[in-house]
Amino acid sequence: MWAEPILHVDLDAFFVEAERLRDPGLIGRPVAVGGTGGRGVIASASYEARSYGVRSAQPTSIALRLCKELIVVPPAHSRYGELSAQVFAIFREFTPVVEGLSVDEAFLDVSGLRRHYSGPLEVATALREAIRGRVGLPASVGVAASKFMAKLASEAAKPDGQLHVPKETELAFLHALPVEALWGVGPATLAGLQRIGVVTIGDLAELPEAALVRSLGPTQGRHLLDLAHGIDPRPVTPDSGAKSISVEETYDRDLEGAEVMTTALLAQAQRLSDRLHRAGLAARTVTLKVRFSDFSTITRSVTAGGAVDSPRALFAAANGLLGQVALERPVRLLGLGGSGLEPADEPRQLPIESEEGWSRIAEAVAGVRDRFGEHSVEPARLLNAPDRKQGRTR
Amino acid sequence: MRIRAQRDDLADVLTRANRAVGARTALPVLQGLLCEVAGTTLRVTGTDLDVTVRTSAEVEVMEEGRAVIPGRLLSEAVRKMPTGSVTIGVSDTDIEIQGNGPRFTLRPLTVDDFPVQEDVVADGVEVDGEELAEAIGQVTIAASGDGARPILGGVLFESSDSGLRMVATDSYRLAKRELRGVGLEGTGLVPARGLRELPRSIGAAKVTAQLREREAVFTSDKGMLRLRLIDGNFPKYQSLLPESYPSQVVIDKDVLLDALGRVTLVAEDHIPVRLKLMEGGVEVAVTRQDVGGETEHLPGVFEGAEDEVSIAFNPRYLQDGVTAIHGDSVRIRVIDAFKPSVIDSGAEDEFLYLLMPVRV
Repeated sequence: MWAEPILHVDLDAFFVEAERLRDPGLIGRPVAVGGTGGRGVIASASYEARSYGVRSAQPTSIALRLCKELIVVPPAHSRYGELSAQVFAIFREFTPVVEGLSVDEAFLDVSGLRRHYSGPLEVATALREAIRGRVGLPASVGVAASKFMAKLASEAAKPDGQLHVPKETELAFLHALPVEALWGVGPATLAGLQRIGVVTIGDLAELPEAALVRSLGPTQGRHLLDLAHGIDPRPVTPDSGAKSISVEETYDRDLEGAEVMTTALLAQAQRLSDRLHRAGLAARTVTLKVRFSDFSTITRSVTAGGAVDSPRALFAAANGLLGQVALERPVRLLGLGGSGLEPADEPRQLPIESEEGWSRIAEAVAGVRDRFGEHSVEPARLLNAPDRKQGRTR
Repeated sequence: MRIRAQRDDLADVLTRANRAVGARTALPVLQGLLCEVAGTTLRVTGTDLDVTVRTSAEVEVMEEGRAVIPGRLLSEAVRKMPTGSVTIGVSDTDIEIQGNGPRFTLRPLTVDDFPVQEDVVADGVEVDGEELAEAIGQVTIAASGDGARPILGGVLFESSDSGLRMVATDSYRLAKRELRGVGLEGTGLVPARGLRELPRSIGAAKVTAQLREREAVFTSDKGMLRLRLIDGNFPKYQSLLPESYPSQVVIDKDVLLDALGRVTLVAEDHIPVRLKLMEGGVEVAVTRQDVGGETEHLPGVFEGAEDEVSIAFNPRYLQDGVTAIHGDSVRIRVIDAFKPSVIDSGAEDEFLYLLMPVRV
């Protein structure tokens, strides 16, 4: 066994580097990706821009004042999504145990690779080369015994570097760091800790538990003390094997009125059923997502006594959930998802209004749709369904 | 207002009224109990708008008046006072609860914010309180707890040939109970959540029930429970009840419950329990991958067209239904592995539990 099998991989200034791939003229210059309008904010800044004090979440107007030559590029999220998917595919070539934190960040447990590499640092090197060589993006990697240490290590390795923190020296590395580097130490906690003279994580580790519990409460106090002693037992939890399957659609024109939305949900129930059918899965929980014209978004879920996969049952659940939503504003996006997935041939609680007949029809229809496309067979009601523009599935 | 009463009497009326007060409420004032003092009576009202409980007690009145007092705190504070008399006094800014040493001061909520309750005259049919409580316990097990289909969270009250019929279903099982000789008029979908509170809020030997246009009202000498009816049409359940069953088995209820208790040790989650009805009784078996299994044979009387019939159920659903049966034996009637089974006591009695199988 390797003592430090956990990698934290973080793409450096991901959005900016993605833009540089598109436009090499941006290389070596202070660049930020962010909103360029009056109220725009910076989403990602290049290291050149950071040296001027440009930070993410900063209003663009302030960033431009700090750095006159700053080039601000509007974000292209769909492109970043594609690049992120390529990078995650590389992660999964190394190990199935990948826990994504966001589009540009993940934990990997590489203990399964010990026959192929001499150590985890060699895995990190190969991984960074693969991301650089095949996608063209720089990444930093931290290698450590726990998720928490690995994340601190990648932070210290940035930009475009890697750092291995051996188990036996991790406390020395940890204790020299400022206390705000700990997860869970925000401004309020930091102020509280500074009041009792804590500056580094080492200072924190020396505090008696009682003192920490007194100033931060039992839960957070003990949690931080554990972290300060390098204790973080959380395993890397892979998100492989879909946890949920969902479909969603942004409509050309906002939807208004329950009837239009019901019809739209009928189409989504069909598509979700198709996807579940292809994966051989059924869902115990059905979730409805509604995004209104003002971009406020709500979700509602229902967990039934038996898993569902037929369009009819999915639609019934979706329609019930829609009834719980106050539809006072126009709707720009509807989504329908299934989670709590189980194999479709697992024992299944049957509903009273028996679906046996319907489920045979549904199965036949799913087969046809699979071969001939989603418009080959569909409920008559959908012939007048709302326009589909960015029919997007996830 | 200012009153004095024995701790236990006060705690009783407050705690029962507080059963209507939800942990999360739509309006802050609904966290409170409306306490009204007039003549020699303290009247306490708690509500979450759907469920309203009103209780009252004769108390020593020093000053009339009304106040809304945080419900959980008030009832708990009174309950934890030393035995003996407790005084509750309300000024503009404070509520004072004292007796025999301890003294609480609580901030009142705004009386004018409390929803106005239109008074109703206690009117309706009289029902044996114990029988009603039993019926509520039997049917509400089949009501749905999730909010996605509100109709399934209700218990249908309707008149039948023999009296009052109560029906609930969560779409996987259905429970039906007849209350003979109860001539309640009208039809209504009464929320199961509020109905479950009836025995502990106003339960008494005699309860009067009334269906109004928008609410069901239950009254007893312990107080009044008002439940806002659920809008919508209850599923047409009559057509779901099979007309005949090719197979049935009659077994001892306690023997079956004991067996199901052993089965559920293995069958956590949604692992089905398999029943094989056959000559001499029924074989009960459960297997769970990676864990193991349990199997046993229960003696019983089998009648059937085939030599044996196999069917699988969600063990918790089965347990719920068998537990609800009153009597010593249980009859399970089966069509086939995909159609509804019906469980009852074997005698043509008032309670019936329909259960859909698990397809395995």
